[in-house]
Amino acid sequence: MAVRSENDLIQEIERLRAELARREQESADKERQLERYAADLRETFKQERARSQELRASYVATVRALSNAVEARDAYTGKHAERVAAYGMEIARALGLSLGELPEIEFGFLLHDIGKVAISDRILWKPDSLSEDERRLMARHPVIGSEIIRGIGFLGDAADVVRSHHERWDGEGYPDGLQGEQIPLAARVFAVADVLDALTTKRPYRPASSLAEAREMINAESGSHFDPRVAGAFNTIPDETFELIRAEIG
Amino acid sequence: MSRGVLVVDDDPFIRKLIATTLEDVAEFELHEAADGAEALEIAERERPSLVFLDVDMPVLDGIAACRELRSLEQTKDATIVMLTAAHGDSVERSAEEAGADLFLTKPFSPLDLLRLVDQLGGES
Repeated sequence: MAVRSENDLIQEIERLRAELARREQESADKERQLERYAADLRETFKQERARSQELRASYVATVRALSNAVEARDAYTGKHAERVAAYGMEIARALGLSLGELPEIEFGFLLHDIGKVAISDRILWKPDSLSEDERRLMARHPVIGSEIIRGIGFLGDAADVVRSHHERWDGEGYPDGLQGEQIPLAARVFAVADVLDALTTKRPYRPASSLAEAREMINAESGSHFDPRVAGAFNTIPDETFELIRAEIG
Repeated sequence: MSRGVLVVDDDPFIRKLIATTLEDVAEFELHEAADGAEALEIAERERPSLVFLDVDMPVLDGIAACRELRSLEQTKDATIVMLTAAHGDSVERSAEEAGADLFLTKPFSPLDLLRLVDQLGGES
């Protein structure tokens, strides 16, 4: 083994020191560059989050506008769609439906009568009872409605709710005469919410029922008109919840 | 003009980082070089329309390479982006004199990098 002079050793140490400094610098540069990536990633994430919230809000606003357009034609129902949607969401939550599905369900509730835009004023506003032909035309609104919104991706399964919102648990509903669990769950929830609102809203030909009366009528039709499981979930929701919704929406 | 992008940096980490960041963002072919001399060789052959050029490099530094690229028929109209370590110093002035179009200061922002490529990709 060659004996190194002291000078050689000092040179070698200096070389190693310089090499170490160079590597430390490189490592520090990489760290700074990595921090920059992290900062940009954070920024991108925040932007994406804000945009998806904006997008969600504009979906909701669009659906509400469509729903309002339908409501605006029907003087009797007022804010029926909004109330039904709120009632329906309470029932859906009581049933334990997964949160991820809830926005689409709400859209379906809000747009349930969108097909009525295709029903003539003469039929929609007829004060007397409808003729057989008129009834048949009127009964097409769930199908028309579901066709109108079928192409809108963000509505998801809402079109099925629109199509099936007049089905009955016992199969006596329309348009498809679906029975029991053939009916989409959201449409079964809707049926209870819809009747609840109809009963507790004053009509020109009858006064509004109390919540207690409405509950009684709904329970009387559990298993015929309504899914018993949905009626059961409805029963677990206290009166105050519905009263609060009514007070808020009007 | 071809849609090639040439990344010139002596640090393989930076080359890899830029290549990975830009992957699939636009349709272009990505080339890499470790120094100015290699950059010129590839530029002549591949005619990139966009060049990222590090300033501090062995063999032929970024300023000199930039000047050479500007005088090459194949890259005289290419967009040249200098990668500089510090902002607003004399390096930028000499880079501008050498014909650089834009600067990215190290550590560079990946979003700026992506926006730049996106913008240039849309133009050509």
